[in-house]
Amino acid sequence: MLATNAPAQMKPIAFTEFDLDNGLHVIVHEDRSTPIVAVSVMYHVGSKNEREDRRGFAHFFEHLLFEGSENIARGEFSKYVEGAGGVLNANTNGDRTYYYEVLPSNQLELGLWLESERMMHARVDQVGIDTQREVVKEERRQRYENQPYGSILIEVLKRAYTVHPYKWPTIGFMEDLNAASEKDYKDFYETYYVPNNAVLVVAGDVDPKEARRLVEAYFGPIARGRDLTRRQVEEPVLKGEVRDVVYDNIQLPAVVQAYRIPAYGTPDFYAVDMVNRLLSSGNSSRLQKALKDEQQKALYVGAFSFPFEDPGLAIAFAIANAGVDAQALEEAMDAEVLRLQQDLVQEEELAKLKAQLETEQVMDNARIAGVASNLASAYTFLGDARAASTEIERYLAITPKDIQRAATTYFNRDSRVVLHYLPKSQKN
Amino acid sequence: MSAAKRPNRLQLGVSLALAGLFMQPSMTFAQIDRRKAPEPGPAPQVTIGDHTAMDLPNGMKMIVVEDHRLPMVSVEVRFDQPPHVMGDLAAVPDLMGELLGAGTQWHTKAEIDESIDRLGARLSSGSNGVYAASLKKHFDKLLPIVFEVTARSTFPAEEFNKARDRYLSALKQREDDPDAIADEVARTLAYGKGHPYGEVVTPELVDKAARKHVAAYHKFHFRPEQGYLVFVGDITPAEARKLADRSFANWEVPEVVTDRSETGRISVDGLGELRLMLKVPRAGGVRSVSIVDRPGAPQSVVRVTFPVELNPADPRAAHAQVMNTILGGGVFNARLMQNLREDKAFTYGAYCSLQADRYVGRYTASTSVRTDVTDSAITEIMYEMERIREAPVTEEELTLVKNYLAGSFARSLEDPRTVARMVLRTYIDGLPPDHYDTYLQRLEAVTAEDVRRAAMVFLNPDQASVLVVGDKSAIGNRITPLSYRKSLAQLDVHGDPYREEVLPAPPGMTAEQVVEKYLEACGGSPTIAGIRDLHMRMTATMQGIPVTVDQYFSVPGKRLTVMRANGQELQREVLADGRAQRTSPTGTEDIIEMELEDMVFEAHPFPEERYAERGRMVLPGVVDLDGRKAYKVVMMADNGNGFTEYYDMESGFKLRREEFRTTAQGNLNIVTEYQDYRPENGIQFPHLIEQVAGMRMVLTVKEVAVNEGLDPALFVFEE
Repeated sequence: MLATNAPAQMKPIAFTEFDLDNGLHVIVHEDRSTPIVAVSVMYHVGSKNEREDRRGFAHFFEHLLFEGSENIARGEFSKYVEGAGGVLNANTNGDRTYYYEVLPSNQLELGLWLESERMMHARVDQVGIDTQREVVKEERRQRYENQPYGSILIEVLKRAYTVHPYKWPTIGFMEDLNAASEKDYKDFYETYYVPNNAVLVVAGDVDPKEARRLVEAYFGPIARGRDLTRRQVEEPVLKGEVRDVVYDNIQLPAVVQAYRIPAYGTPDFYAVDMVNRLLSSGNSSRLQKALKDEQQKALYVGAFSFPFEDPGLAIAFAIANAGVDAQALEEAMDAEVLRLQQDLVQEEELAKLKAQLETEQVMDNARIAGVASNLASAYTFLGDARAASTEIERYLAITPKDIQRAATTYFNRDSRVVLHYLPKSQKN
Repeated sequence: MSAAKRPNRLQLGVSLALAGLFMQPSMTFAQIDRRKAPEPGPAPQVTIGDHTAMDLPNGMKMIVVEDHRLPMVSVEVRFDQPPHVMGDLAAVPDLMGELLGAGTQWHTKAEIDESIDRLGARLSSGSNGVYAASLKKHFDKLLPIVFEVTARSTFPAEEFNKARDRYLSALKQREDDPDAIADEVARTLAYGKGHPYGEVVTPELVDKAARKHVAAYHKFHFRPEQGYLVFVGDITPAEARKLADRSFANWEVPEVVTDRSETGRISVDGLGELRLMLKVPRAGGVRSVSIVDRPGAPQSVVRVTFPVELNPADPRAAHAQVMNTILGGGVFNARLMQNLREDKAFTYGAYCSLQADRYVGRYTASTSVRTDVTDSAITEIMYEMERIREAPVTEEELTLVKNYLAGSFARSLEDPRTVARMVLRTYIDGLPPDHYDTYLQRLEAVTAEDVRRAAMVFLNPDQASVLVVGDKSAIGNRITPLSYRKSLAQLDVHGDPYREEVLPAPPGMTAEQVVEKYLEACGGSPTIAGIRDLHMRMTATMQGIPVTVDQYFSVPGKRLTVMRANGQELQREVLADGRAQRTSPTGTEDIIEMELEDMVFEAHPFPEERYAERGRMVLPGVVDLDGRKAYKVVMMADNGNGFTEYYDMESGFKLRREEFRTTAQGNLNIVTEYQDYRPENGIQFPHLIEQVAGMRMVLTVKEVAVNEGLDPALFVFEE
């Protein structure tokens, strides 16, 4: 039995870490194999920190923080990075906002200057605000409104949560962004964009001592912010099944099932994630094999666990093959969950998942940008950057009994959201 | 540093003391000047990793790129041959790729899937090969599976049927995805459907594909002597060779199944004759605009595309790459992104690509914009293409993009598969062996003049195909003028000319009855016959200026149309006694020939009364017109200037008229829509008339006066 739990082959990701007096946590990872460096900052703020009448503000604000600073004129931020041969981007989710640059390693100082400017005294003018508000509206249209099945997450979240801010999507709502005022920008920046609410990662072809010296020089003078009080919102248990139909510009019906699951980092999160992996990871997984190959009901099927900081969601999504109706598809999905609840998983099947996890861990850390992001997330949400290397052990510790218990406890038919996506032509 | 150079003990002591007191930061704060960007250190050396290449006995080329940083190995099996037209068998390559591993000589699909997952490996297959990767410790078990999938797939009938059904479902899903539609249709517009790169798979073609075709295509395309076997990662050439010797090296070369003749055709067992297509299609004439209609779409997906003759080995490829990157290729500071997003806020992103290809490459500009700025967005894309052709790029742009591309090159080398890809491209594209080694030098040498010349040679804005996937009713009229043909081609989701669905008309219904019903709805023939004269005043806006249009009819045979702006007469058309004349700021001229013939027939507010004299009418059936059921009536006029009209099935009113007119000024497409019917003097008139004829005009009817008498002096000619 122990043999199947062969340890992962990957060497732990080596790094040094320290805190500045202003509370900024810094992680430095040295890898000299390619002459590039990733500089990234993860701010522990996302759409769940928004006011209910400013939904979408965190992501909108992320756009604005490319506008410039006291020392960087509007539009220059990206010029510095691209002109140095680098790339830059950022992304926002419910829990955090992440900015990064990947640069030639002789431009480390440039990356640190840019990120410290962003943290120290970012600047946004009205032209930037007006422009980015329109840009975000187009982002919303492009990603959510003009895509078949594009509204799934929005439709699920608003039914899966009643009080927790996870009930609105990170992209938000345009009327809220229209209502944002000067004070909102100032408050948000002063509250969340502070060193004591961020982790800085420098990864790649760097001398850790030199990196530390530069980090201290650029980030040391930034003032510490107020201590944050994180509001805990208890979302009550979903009472009963929430069932609805969404009509979309589609021909093939789809089924979405969402279950509320424990927060990322809790032991049961890993058990739940193993349930989802058993269901849909790899062609021989249960849903793929049963729904696509054996029964030919689904064109596509996937089951995912969303690693949210507060209790999150497991979402299963399937698109029906032509001629298959949503109800038949849903029953086939339910049957596979039921099987996991009734019968213990065999060790052999579990070993497959563990082999996949080992591969995944190596692949996720194959690029320096990925390493930087994994270290930042592990520090922010698992409390320790070492978890980027050790998290796999929490998966490997999951037993067949854990899986059965997770399937029974969390994949509960009487406490879930089920949506049928149907063609608009079927709407009467 | 300065303190160290001056051996002043006291100073040194003080700073050390301070360092102890305030910790290190206070000392280093002084060393930076955050008002300006820091200077970079010395540029790091960029080195391309080594590779080993060898031939297997059966002719397969094996390439190994060693990289022991991670315990991973990947393998790519790749087959290459000149593109060929698949025609009716266009679905076959995809089905073959999909079915690799869905049953082999030794295992079922379920067994293959199971063994891949047990290794925690990834494997994907397509019509040109197979890719797989796993941890090193599993790789010796993975490679035999890769070989089995590549060379020993049997395409069982049951799996074939499943794959075909899945393909049909997948096509339906694609039909709902505006980006997928845009990409596919743009490809057909650039290359044409007769070119291998422009072929499109439709449901009909999926039905035409048979299992035997898939097996035959596999035998034709997947052959060791035209294959590459590329290993990358934690593996030595000796280890790779040992694994290959037990699998791919033993793959027998199948007996010759093809007969390559000199005529550019090859005869293939089980597939019949395939046409090779190496010729470069020329850009298709003048700029065209096409639309795939998605009623109610919140955004328009836009593509601007044309074929480009640019071989990857061409020394101008680096010029073209820099030019395309400045215009819209990947950098945030590119012109399309800065113009359409950062300046105008039309979009979340705007890009362009210039693909080099040894047979025929392609340029494509892409964006998704909110519906109401579709025409402006296309205009801006065209403007940027013109601008980069006409004026040299700035030194700032040139430096930024060259630095960016050099940095991208260095970053891409982080992934050892990049080296493998370079080696593969060197073989497949016939590049000089040092092509990538000298890339950075070629890049550095590019000048602003090189960029402008590349734009002149490779950009063809006047011959571009513009495609919009969006809401036709909202934007069709506004994008039509962007076409040099002054017409809008409506296409279906596969890029074929759109054919509206025409349902049969109720039995016994004729075109004549539809027209009669319309006249009845407007007031009836006796009422209409009672019209002796009529004056209709309409208003509109032309290029932002309010205009008034007065139209006068005097029955029989007289008509006058006058357009004014700010009291000034802009245009006048008069028709009387079989003669017509047009006066505009450019002068006065007689209207003659076909145009005159048409005018004479329209010298009455209800010219429909005389349709029967004009030509032959047919009723193809009933169509859906923006949600309303409408009779479609086609007039084939005796003079050859026909038109098509649509009449509301329910109310009888005319909704729309489309006509293609030959005039002295050239050919003109005119589309007119009629809305808001209301009675005036007991006769129903549309009060909102929207017309697109080169440009768009919305006319609002303000007044209608019937039989109030008209001054005969109105209808006089200028002599």
